[in-house]
Amino acid sequence: MFKVENLEFKYTKNQSNVLNGLNFEIKEGEIFGFLGPSGAGKSTTQKIIIKILEDYKGKILYKDKDLKSYGNEFYEDIGVSFEMPVHFSKMTAMENINFFLKLYKNNEDIELLMKRLGLWEDRNKLVGEFSKGMKIRLNLVRALLNKPKMLFLDEPTNGLDPANAMIMKDIIREFKNNGGTVFITSHIMSDIDQLCDRVAFIVNGEIKEIDSPRNLKIRYGKRTVKVEYKEDNQIKSKEYPLTEISENRDFIDIIKSKDIETIHSGETTLEDIFIKVTGVNLDNES
Amino acid sequence: MKVSRLKQLILGELLRLHKYNVIFISVFIALVWGIILYFVNSNIFDVLLPLLILVDSTMMSFMYIGSVMFFEKKESTLSSILVTPVKNEEIVLSKIFANTLHNLLSTSLVIIAFVFIKQVELRYILIFFSIIVITSLFTGLGLLFSYYQKDFTTMLMNIMILAFLLLIPSALFAFGIISGKFWEYILLINPIQAAQELINGGFKEYEITWKYYFSLAYLLVGLITTYKYLIIPKFQKYAVSISGV
Repeated sequence: MFKVENLEFKYTKNQSNVLNGLNFEIKEGEIFGFLGPSGAGKSTTQKIIIKILEDYKGKILYKDKDLKSYGNEFYEDIGVSFEMPVHFSKMTAMENINFFLKLYKNNEDIELLMKRLGLWEDRNKLVGEFSKGMKIRLNLVRALLNKPKMLFLDEPTNGLDPANAMIMKDIIREFKNNGGTVFITSHIMSDIDQLCDRVAFIVNGEIKEIDSPRNLKIRYGKRTVKVEYKEDNQIKSKEYPLTEISENRDFIDIIKSKDIETIHSGETTLEDIFIKVTGVNLDNES
Repeated sequence: MKVSRLKQLILGELLRLHKYNVIFISVFIALVWGIILYFVNSNIFDVLLPLLILVDSTMMSFMYIGSVMFFEKKESTLSSILVTPVKNEEIVLSKIFANTLHNLLSTSLVIIAFVFIKQVELRYILIFFSIIVITSLFTGLGLLFSYYQKDFTTMLMNIMILAFLLLIPSALFAFGIISGKFWEYILLINPIQAAQELINGGFKEYEITWKYYFSLAYLLVGLITTYKYLIIPKFQKYAVSISGV
């Protein structure tokens, strides 16, 4: 859907590039995660892809055509959900939505969408009276109201309780299952792990890794199995290489003879991969 | 430019001017000034009424659009509008139209009231046309001004300074403190003075001279050039700078 080639960008005030030759592709129908520490170039890349920033070098193809050749009709195709609330606080949720609805050719069934996100009952309430979670859910309604083909989501579950975060993720998956494409940035690695088909890690304006979460976890993890078992009233553990594990006599003996407490493969988490690739701890982020 | 989309944006702007109490405040201020004018004697009234219309069409419209831009900056709503099929020209024009319309409403209330109370004689088409031209220009200038203001307090302070610098010479001239042909000509470069000339032309007792036509052309050219070469080209940069995408 999008093909980005040698993308470079420099803000006029800066001396050096923010983006240094990015190359990646967002395939139609996939959920693509874009991860990186603050200042890595995530927002700049998104601003360029959604045609807010234009003075870039390199090439971006959208549906095999140069992105620069598209006019504002491009926005009929996309929906953007921002990290921060972007609503008129002294207007009701419905007034906000109605204002934006009339700017597009295609309109989503707002009642259905708002009901799913638990906002229909409060549609006539001023947005200023909404909780942060409600405002974030309203952001998704705003992003979806024009029936977009592609969604850009910035920290979509940040500030949501687990139940609403689950609903939000279900809606994102449904959007994908109905043929939509999603570009998502988030610091919540479990969300990325659950949702994304592929992820890219960006550091200092360069893409350091790009693959499916599964492949990354295998590649960055240890190909081992760790077994914890009880012996002499103590918890003991042993680690075995995954290679030819079925022929490892010691491993098979322990499985057969000991009281096993846990068995874990050495597969790593996306959070660990983030730290390894970017060199930044997620606690210092956001 | 799509007319239906522009209409939708203007309606949205007017709704927000109402919801954020800008229309209420502008009508309220116009009425307070109207009440004050009602009690002054006729000599001062003759000078003050055009001055009131001038301040309302210039600095007040300047301030109202500044406050609207700050509401939008604070709530990041411009980010959301930027990712719609709407063009920058449509966003800017809708703000100019809506602000001009609401300012026309408050100023018209005062004018109509004094037509009945003090039998003020007007050239109606000219006075309303003048208010539209002047308010449009100063709304545009207010928009441009707001691009460079960091916060609301700084903006208010800067508007005060600007108002002082621009209004004082016109006020001094209106009260006869400074006079003479030199000042009469040189002050026309000041858009406030040119606006004053245009408003004066809306009153029947005022004789329309070359100064009126010069001021009209000056303000119209100012409006078009400011819109085309400053407000629109700098809008995208401003919008990107305040968008937290």
